[in-house]
Amino acid sequence: MKLHHHLKKMKKYSIVLSLIILLTNGCEKDDFCIEEVTPNLILRFCDVTNPSNTLAADGLTIWPEGRDSIVVNQTLDSIAIPLDVNNEQTIYNFSSGAAIDQITIYYTVNEIFVSRSCGYKAEFSNLLAIPTNSWIEYIEQLTTTVEDESAAHIQIFH
Amino acid sequence: MNRQHIFKFFISLALVVCFVDGHAQQNNLIVKQDTIEVDKDPVPYKTNYGFRLGVDISKPIRGLIQDFYSGFEIVGDYRISRKWYAAAEIGTEKQNTIEDFTKSTAKGQYIRLGMNYNSYNNWLDMNNEVYLGFRYGFALFEQTLNSYTINSGNTFFDSIPNDIPQTVDGLTAHWTEIMVGIKAEIYNNIFVGISGSYKIMMSVDDPTNFKTHFAPGFNRVYISQTGFGFNYTVSYLIPFRKK
Repeated sequence: MKLHHHLKKMKKYSIVLSLIILLTNGCEKDDFCIEEVTPNLILRFCDVTNPSNTLAADGLTIWPEGRDSIVVNQTLDSIAIPLDVNNEQTIYNFSSGAAIDQITIYYTVNEIFVSRSCGYKAEFSNLLAIPTNSWIEYIEQLTTTVEDESAAHIQIFH
Repeated sequence: MNRQHIFKFFISLALVVCFVDGHAQQNNLIVKQDTIEVDKDPVPYKTNYGFRLGVDISKPIRGLIQDFYSGFEIVGDYRISRKWYAAAEIGTEKQNTIEDFTKSTAKGQYIRLGMNYNSYNNWLDMNNEVYLGFRYGFALFEQTLNSYTINSGNTFFDSIPNDIPQTVDGLTAHWTEIMVGIKAEIYNNIFVGISGSYKIMMSVDDPTNFKTHFAPGFNRVYISQTGFGFNYTVSYLIPFRKK
């Protein structure tokens, strides 16, 4: 009699137990990635005749070699472009009107753990950018590392 | 129908484990008597003291339901006074953690030591408990980063996963727990118990350039450094001499 009563209780417990199993193991507290992850390369366009001023490039179309465009026919004085984290270089094409230039960007990828939900981000060091010169006169690297997007990394003079 | 079979299997398994261990313990028994007064009628009665050993059956069940988890835990307690029990749990756990950008596995052993305070006033020869417990927990484990993908923040370039597993062992974790639980004697010296605990991590080792996502005995490790756990146990009280 006592055993039957307790077995009934155990059945009720196992239902509660299953619920608790599902609940406590379904709860994810750190669910959203809110931290900064891999930074983009920030370029600023400057006036070759007046180097301390920015000068927007007209009719700008930018695309990584062999891929789709990031911007099409826009007038911009700065832009953030992604670097390929699975390679040690990325080649970008910049066309301003009819003229096309290529910038080859070399770097070393450093993998850094951020958090449970964000995973790993990449930071770039040993940065080296080499342009062609149709409409771009020259470029100036402000840094050899890309760790965040707080400031421009490369200035393009045209 | 299947669940009941699994249930009965584990209870039988637990009893087999307990009997085998119980036999070895018989030479180390301590027997006590206890006398209390009920209302105005002093009725002396003897209650059971002894060593109770059992298994947490929720862990093998979870192992069957959740393919990312496996674990086994032995529980024991020893009554040291009318209301106080010394208690310990020892076990092993393994869990796979799958996040958006990382897949990792943590596995290892743990031990929890502490005391339970029974706040339930048993009538006469009943031996049930409603208790509050405290534990210190310690785990020794290893974590393997099975695969990860860099979070590039863009879709222009595919992020290729790095599948080379990296294992760090010798990781430790220390924590404290507060638990509440119930134990009921359902048959001669056989107890069924359920408990829930709130855990606070004191310190946990993280692998270099990664983080411990799961510590055996503690469960998932979040930024909050707190966690929850529960047991569903079947235990046997090692037989004592009656006077």
